[in-house]
Amino acid sequence: MATDAGDGSASDMNDHKPFVPEISDLELLKTAWRNEKAAPEILPFQTRLVNDMKDQIQWREETVDEFEESGNDPLTVSLYQMDLDRIQFLLRSYLRVRLQKIEKYMFHILKTDNLRDRLSEQEKLFARRCVDDMGNHLEDTVLSKLPDNYQSVLKQSIISEEDDMVPEPQLDAFVAGKSRSESPLYVDIPGRGHLEMQNDDLFFLHYKVVKEKVENGIIYLV
Amino acid sequence: MHGRQASQLVKELASSEKGQLKPFNMQHNTCNFNVFGSLGMLHVLRFLSDLFDQVIEQCEQHHLELQSLIRKIQDEGLDVQTTRNADHYGALIHHLSLVRNKRCLLAYVYNRAEIIRSFIWKVGPVLPEEIQEKLSHTEGDHFRRYSASLNSYVQEVGVDLTLDMVPPKDPYIKVRVLDDMGAIVLSDKTANLARHSMHFLRRTDAEQYIAQGLMEELTG
Repeated sequence: MATDAGDGSASDMNDHKPFVPEISDLELLKTAWRNEKAAPEILPFQTRLVNDMKDQIQWREETVDEFEESGNDPLTVSLYQMDLDRIQFLLRSYLRVRLQKIEKYMFHILKTDNLRDRLSEQEKLFARRCVDDMGNHLEDTVLSKLPDNYQSVLKQSIISEEDDMVPEPQLDAFVAGKSRSESPLYVDIPGRGHLEMQNDDLFFLHYKVVKEKVENGIIYLV
Repeated sequence: MHGRQASQLVKELASSEKGQLKPFNMQHNTCNFNVFGSLGMLHVLRFLSDLFDQVIEQCEQHHLELQSLIRKIQDEGLDVQTTRNADHYGALIHHLSLVRNKRCLLAYVYNRAEIIRSFIWKVGPVLPEEIQEKLSHTEGDHFRRYSASLNSYVQEVGVDLTLDMVPPKDPYIKVRVLDDMGAIVLSDKTANLARHSMHFLRRTDAEQYIAQGLMEELTG
């Protein structure tokens, strides 16, 4: 990394700011979408970003309509339309990926406070409905027909101390990602010491090792 | 052997094609007929292809055995918590078999439910007959309730999630109509979608019809 060699020495090791030369909302949404697709667990909902993108979509729709009415060059209109379509796809896909994750780990998410807080209000409602529904379905089909001590949906039997029937995300799954930090980044790898990363380095690691850095935006998944 | 039926149930799930569904393994094919000469009495015969019910029944059996072994330990004046004799281990095996059966049953139902929910993305909120008949009664309910939850989420958020299932390449695509649909108002025009006619439509308009099998996309 020979670029910007001038003041590289002044950077503070402990202060990892995301290396973000004015990233547009669209880029941010792309990052959020990729992170969400790659991370095994649900990530915090990007409330501001989603609202902004919704506004932008509306604004762009109006622009396209105006262009169409004022008889602009069809090619230009079509390019704007394409751009709009892509943004809409991103937003829809982002929301969809989240819903799929919520469904997959609904019991786990709803009983874990800090995961539940990552959902948007609407997602919380959705999750609640899903849990009720899935609970009822399992209850009617299987659980109500089992002996008393074995009827819990969360526990294998009455003697289990913990909830041992709840699907949880595999946090040690491998993910591919890149770092986005002005200064070298150190990742602790339990039992293996540190891993030093330069800006834009590509890596392939356990998700739980880089989990915090993904949440802070210093590392993004690809 | 303990737990064999339960594992068969799960195997059935694992061996079926990904995303495909087999009929729920609990068919109460109730068949009524008159047996000649027996005073016209109505006999009800029940043919069970009922792996699912068999496993439930086994759970009940294991539970009975388990209880009787525990009672035996108690009758001998021993402490249930600390005794480690043959009866204790017998009871333990019944307990573990029961738990295993429970897991298999739930895995079967849970994974089927996942496939069923995936249909809403692939075919939409109304299931065709041939899928409908493979679902058990509660599975049908589950699908309807899920569809309702999703619907209210979409309405609250104001973004239709069923569109754009694949990344868009071009805002317009070429399609061929497979079934007579008559004149339909699309977002930018009204088109007469007669059978076998070809159109150049907005992808967002066409997607829903393609999913329903009313149109096909022409590529290349």
